[in-house]
Amino acid sequence: MTAMKWFYSFLKKHNRSMVLGLILVTVISILAIVKPMVSGAIVDDVITAGDYELLPKLIALLILITIVRGVLRFWSQVIFEACSQDVLYAMRDTVYRKLLQEDFNFYNKKRTGDLLSRQTGDMDAIRHFIAFVIYQVYENVFLFFFALIMIFTVSWKLALCMCVVLPFALLVTLSQTKSGRPRFQKIREQFSSLNTFVQENVSGNRVVKAFSKEDYEIGKFNKENDGYRDAELAAAEIWTKYVPQFEFLSNMLTVILMLVGSIMVIQDSMTLGNYVTINGYLWMLMNPLRQIGWRINDIQRFTTSVEKIYATYSEEPKVKHPKKAIPCHKLQGDIEFRNVSYSADDEDIIRNVSFQVKSGQTVGILGSTGSGKSTIMNLICRFYDVTDGEVLVDGQNVKDLDLYNLRQNIGMAMQDVFLFSDTVEGNIAYSRPDCPFEEVQKAAVMADADNFIHEMPDGYDTIVGERGVGLSGGQKQRISLARALLKEPSILILDDTTSAVDMETESYIQQQLNNIDHACTIFIVAYRISSIKDSDLILVLNNGEIVEQGTHEELLANNGYYATVFRHQYGEFEKYVDEITQNKMRGSENRGTK
Amino acid sequence: MARNKYDIDEVIEDKFDLNQLKRVFQYVKPYRGQLAIALFLMLSSSALTMLFPMFISEIMDTYIPEKNIRAIVVITILSLVIVLYTCVCIRFKIRITSRIGQAIVHQLRSDIFCHLQELPFSYYDDRPHGKIQVRVVNYVNSLSDLLSNGIINTITDMCNLIFILIFMFLLHVRLTLICLCGLPVLMGVIVFVKRRQRRAWQIQSNKQSNLTAYIAESINGIRVTQSFVRERENTSIFNYLSDSYRSAWMHAVKYNFIMWPCIDSISTVTTALIYVIGIGWISGGLYGVTVGILIAFTSYISRFWEPINTLASFYNSLLTAIAYLERIFETIDEPVNVKDSEEAVPMPPIKGSVAFQDVCFSYEDGVQILNKVSFTTNPGDTYAIVGPTGAGKSTIVNLISRFYNVDSGKILIDGTDISSVTLKSLRKQMGIMMQDSFIFSGTIMDNIRYGNLTATDEEVITAAKTVCAHDFIMEMENGYQTQVNERGSRLSAGQRQLISFARALLENPAILILDEATSSIDTETEILLQKGLNRLLEGRTSFIIAHRLSTIKNASRILYVDKGKILEAGTHEELLAQKGEYYKLFMSQYDFLVSKQN
Repeated sequence: MTAMKWFYSFLKKHNRSMVLGLILVTVISILAIVKPMVSGAIVDDVITAGDYELLPKLIALLILITIVRGVLRFWSQVIFEACSQDVLYAMRDTVYRKLLQEDFNFYNKKRTGDLLSRQTGDMDAIRHFIAFVIYQVYENVFLFFFALIMIFTVSWKLALCMCVVLPFALLVTLSQTKSGRPRFQKIREQFSSLNTFVQENVSGNRVVKAFSKEDYEIGKFNKENDGYRDAELAAAEIWTKYVPQFEFLSNMLTVILMLVGSIMVIQDSMTLGNYVTINGYLWMLMNPLRQIGWRINDIQRFTTSVEKIYATYSEEPKVKHPKKAIPCHKLQGDIEFRNVSYSADDEDIIRNVSFQVKSGQTVGILGSTGSGKSTIMNLICRFYDVTDGEVLVDGQNVKDLDLYNLRQNIGMAMQDVFLFSDTVEGNIAYSRPDCPFEEVQKAAVMADADNFIHEMPDGYDTIVGERGVGLSGGQKQRISLARALLKEPSILILDDTTSAVDMETESYIQQQLNNIDHACTIFIVAYRISSIKDSDLILVLNNGEIVEQGTHEELLANNGYYATVFRHQYGEFEKYVDEITQNKMRGSENRGTK
Repeated sequence: MARNKYDIDEVIEDKFDLNQLKRVFQYVKPYRGQLAIALFLMLSSSALTMLFPMFISEIMDTYIPEKNIRAIVVITILSLVIVLYTCVCIRFKIRITSRIGQAIVHQLRSDIFCHLQELPFSYYDDRPHGKIQVRVVNYVNSLSDLLSNGIINTITDMCNLIFILIFMFLLHVRLTLICLCGLPVLMGVIVFVKRRQRRAWQIQSNKQSNLTAYIAESINGIRVTQSFVRERENTSIFNYLSDSYRSAWMHAVKYNFIMWPCIDSISTVTTALIYVIGIGWISGGLYGVTVGILIAFTSYISRFWEPINTLASFYNSLLTAIAYLERIFETIDEPVNVKDSEEAVPMPPIKGSVAFQDVCFSYEDGVQILNKVSFTTNPGDTYAIVGPTGAGKSTIVNLISRFYNVDSGKILIDGTDISSVTLKSLRKQMGIMMQDSFIFSGTIMDNIRYGNLTATDEEVITAAKTVCAHDFIMEMENGYQTQVNERGSRLSAGQRQLISFARALLENPAILILDEATSSIDTETEILLQKGLNRLLEGRTSFIIAHRLSTIKNASRILYVDKGKILEAGTHEELLAQKGEYYKLFMSQYDFLVSKQN
């Protein structure tokens, strides 16, 4: 029921328009009743009785009614349609904002296709309900009761006889409602599932092709496609079953009139004129009855969708903007981890991590795959909240800081580079869409991306495919780095950002990072010693714990994990030392002569 | 064609193409038998229900005055029978139409999906994925009602219309002709509105596509959005798109709403005309018009306009649907560039000799990526491809699997031109691990098994052990049965790479291609992995693209690529001795150590 309340909170704002629309519908319905009367008058009084004087007036009336009805109907339809679009707009906005607030935990568990379905297919069921179902139901109920009252005034006995169908109609309605519900839920689930499957197939198209699994995918797709069809057909069974029952009840009214009405006339408890009148009202009773089945169908589609949307909407993020947030427009970049532990799904990701960094320092993080390096970075940005311990930035617990200010101060190039299907410039300027081009270019130069961007067909205006398809791994990483640099952050996080760039580029980028002209704490997560060797502090992680920390020299002397990795990567170094030194000197001489 | 993004409308067809409709009917055709049955049921039941007014007038005119209760009871029973028959008819009609509707939608969706599987990377690269998705799911869905109920109702209405017209003509030819005067006016309105209406719905479908694309991307890119605090900006873009969608919808839907008042007015005016002229003719005693004929005629007029009204609403939904259909057919018609040639034969088991002969390639005209690349590999050897980013390394390996066709030159495997064999048989024998390790939602077991669906659990586990993924998998709460989701967001990048690595190995490929496959894996794991691999790679040709030189230097041969050409080729030692580009690259990794020492 809360889902409906939530829905109503949107519709409520349009109460006035809705009421106006319904008033218009009332007028239209009345005109629909009046119009045949005028035609009747023309037939009876003008044609049959020969009173030709009346004709111009009646025809004028007829045309007037038609025009008024046409205009009102157009107007009312536009009103309902506008209401539905406005509600949808507001609802989409609300749900979208909520999606933007949800934390990583939420997204780790949700499938894109499901979330997408909430914003597309489910919204459409709501549109249909507001734009069409509401006034249809109202119009039918109005006509039905109007006709019933009219019939009562003509002959309450016959009216009562006709009312016999009502309890049956109620029974059928209840029964349809009950059996329909689970099937509509099934449709929504299948829709989501189909959506998710297609979405993954499209996103994963490279893998599908690489493994030449097209047939397998088609097989899986057929299952989804069949599943959706079967769900729709299962729901169709409902109306296959119930719509004829309503049709039957509706036609029974004619039968009752034929039998009971005629007998009453014969027994003189009703006049023939009354019989004719009631016959004239009969369609107003029959049509609404006939449509109940379809409308229940519409309404159930609608309620299931609202519930689905609401269920997604009502999931509260665990990471929340604090109520009394400490504003922090410009952070210094001092960071401290105090006995921080984080676990998800009963699995410890990091345990008891403590370290301290001063503003402007560089921290290198090395560790085996899955040892919790990215998690530490995510905790600084507060994408997750710690399970235990404290993360302090500038001496404040991150949980107390203004969440948006905090993130504003952090520039992060993620391991998993995600680029948007936008221009290169738009991607780099993601944090500051209005920033002047010169700054974009400056950031690109720092990330050594400017050169290859210029070689692209439209330079900075080249549109990159979704997720940066079409760019090489190294190019994506450099654009993502430029994007982080443009923020001029107090804390810069490079999570495995140079793994796909060659050595020369990497060392160029490192020089650039050293030249950053504002105080900036830098975290570099990497597998290559070269990326982190010059850091002020190097943390070595294993299995969620810091096993070694210190500078490059200290760690080499320590002869632990770090030293082993170093030897693996640069063991042959000694062999080449002389050669390299010579090269270097030659290189600097050359540069000197230029 | 330039790439598309969320706020760029797709190109819309200007002309109304009748072929689209013909194609739709191809989908309907297999069901014409069932449609005919449904139609028969509908026509017979509607003909029978037309008896009711006759029954009632008979009762009123004859049986009530005669007080013939028996006849009334008989008629009532007859009516009851008709009612029951009608209910049965409706039941079958609904069953048939919903089945047909769903079957057509099913078929259409299947066609577009199957075609999508054949389309090359570039198709996917050139537009936001949400725009592809909306076609397969949402657009197709919106057609089901139209293509089943819509068709039956249309035919029923047309039949009704014809019947009524016949009655009208039989009754009075001149009056009928007057009545028909309204039709050209209606046609005029339709022609006047049609172009705009169609355009309006096309625009609407574009806006819907834009919005869906943006939502999909917002969800996928949420991590970036949150970390760059772009929520506000994105919300305003989203609302802008949502608003465009709303206005496009409102604009389009108004054209649909115009139709009814127009028809209603035209019908009223013609009816009024009939009254006036009819009465004139009666009083003038012209053309044999009598009071009875005129009354009867007016009752037909309303019946005449009723089906026209429903036809018009069918026309409205048709125009809406065409906007979607165009998009669907456009995708189905998208040419497949990389496909089996007609005389393609299956690739025989690959031994592993790959030869490039003067291969030129460009993704776009004028931007040449590979320029006359030639090399030959020995079966069973490991080839490392190195060079600066954007040099064309990935392109070379993508061409081996024929993800793209070469512009000129040839690629031979074991002497067979790869363009002469079936794609499937070719790619089946290759294990490819791409830069982007995509994880499907499902269990880890399923994800690895993707490489070889017939693999047993043991084989999957063996593959995982080979790539050192077994340990971390076992640490997860449900081991191999742990659910991961798309992009594997609960796995680290390195873990994802290991899983896709296992997947590639499980395929038991004759040629293994590793494109930055181990960039996010730590050195320790990589060394272990290398050991496992060396055993496994025996006898298989492999291509490795990597930046970590420790990964590269053990290769049997190294190809140094830059600016679309192979500049150097040889073993690690040979290339070092050459003191060329590779030498520079290799030495540069030590630069930082030396600079510190200086």
